[in-house]
Amino acid sequence: MIVGQQKPIEEIKKMVKPYKKLLILGCGTCVKTCFAGGEDETAALASALRMTFKIDGQSVEISQQTVERQCENEFIQEAAKKIGDNEAVLSMACGAGVQAIARRFPKSPVYPALNTTFLGVQESQGVFTEECLGCGNCGLGVFGAICPVTRCSKKLLNGPCGGSQKGKCEVNPETECAWQLIIDRLTALGQLNNLRTYIPPKNWKTSHSGGPRKLVREDHIL
Amino acid sequence: MGKTFKAKITLFHCINAFTERQSLSSDHVDVKVVKMPCSGMVSEVFLLKAFEAGADAVTILVCPEGACRYMEGNIRARKRMEKTQSVLDEIGVKGKRLTMHHVNATDPSAVERIVSGILGDLEELGPNPAAL
Repeated sequence: MIVGQQKPIEEIKKMVKPYKKLLILGCGTCVKTCFAGGEDETAALASALRMTFKIDGQSVEISQQTVERQCENEFIQEAAKKIGDNEAVLSMACGAGVQAIARRFPKSPVYPALNTTFLGVQESQGVFTEECLGCGNCGLGVFGAICPVTRCSKKLLNGPCGGSQKGKCEVNPETECAWQLIIDRLTALGQLNNLRTYIPPKNWKTSHSGGPRKLVREDHIL
Repeated sequence: MGKTFKAKITLFHCINAFTERQSLSSDHVDVKVVKMPCSGMVSEVFLLKAFEAGADAVTILVCPEGACRYMEGNIRARKRMEKTQSVLDEIGVKGKRLTMHHVNATDPSAVERIVSGILGDLEELGPNPAAL
């Protein structure tokens, strides 16, 4: 999922200060799962903003709605009326959702209420970890489904650096050494021979380093 | 600041921690009671909405530590209270207006003492600025 975190309320207030009629638009998929932008968080932010604007003596009409996904037109459409009724939209989606709303409604100013942080998993209740950089050339099959590109602080592709201590990364002792995890898992799977395969220097052109990426699925285009 | 207003308190409680047998409201205070099957049901949005609806103080009555029927409901309630307190501080309502108390269902007078304590705190805090 895409993991996000709500911005400080003070920062949000500064962004939406010029507006008297504001829609807070939640997203019911990734950011709901990470407790940042779902229906509950949207309602909580709306309530907090109403109160803080009242304390500041500002009259701002705040409404709220949550759509299933802000990154798809079919779902965005459900919010069209409310977006049209308001002066601006405060989106609680990831950066992709914010931009999808802006693209679909060119006349509406759209602002992000969240900081989009990473692609990750919920490791345990309330703990989210980054697992994928979206590098565009997945090698998880070789690494026992543990990504050294994302989880090794040095992004090493041909074995550990030698600096890990008791399975922890020397860069950050709170981080598990990805290579320790890879070796443990490949050993358990009987696939340790995978490490005899030389992985050449990574071509980062398929990652964001090659500029904004686009995926075209001809089989879905009419 | 001396208390010169009729305070409004919203009291969320676990049904296993407290049973409202008679109204807690008086000439000095309006107490709105919201009962829940477990205090673990309380969420940030409920607490904020209570303040938005005009409460000068909000309190959550939970079972004693280690006595939650659902194991961790009162721990969850505390975590959510702490998060909401930080939001209240951020927006200028003051997190001190939100409190949580462990109560035992066998000591009903405890809640009257809690309400009196909150009224004492409100003498310092004054009315909820977001409700004015």
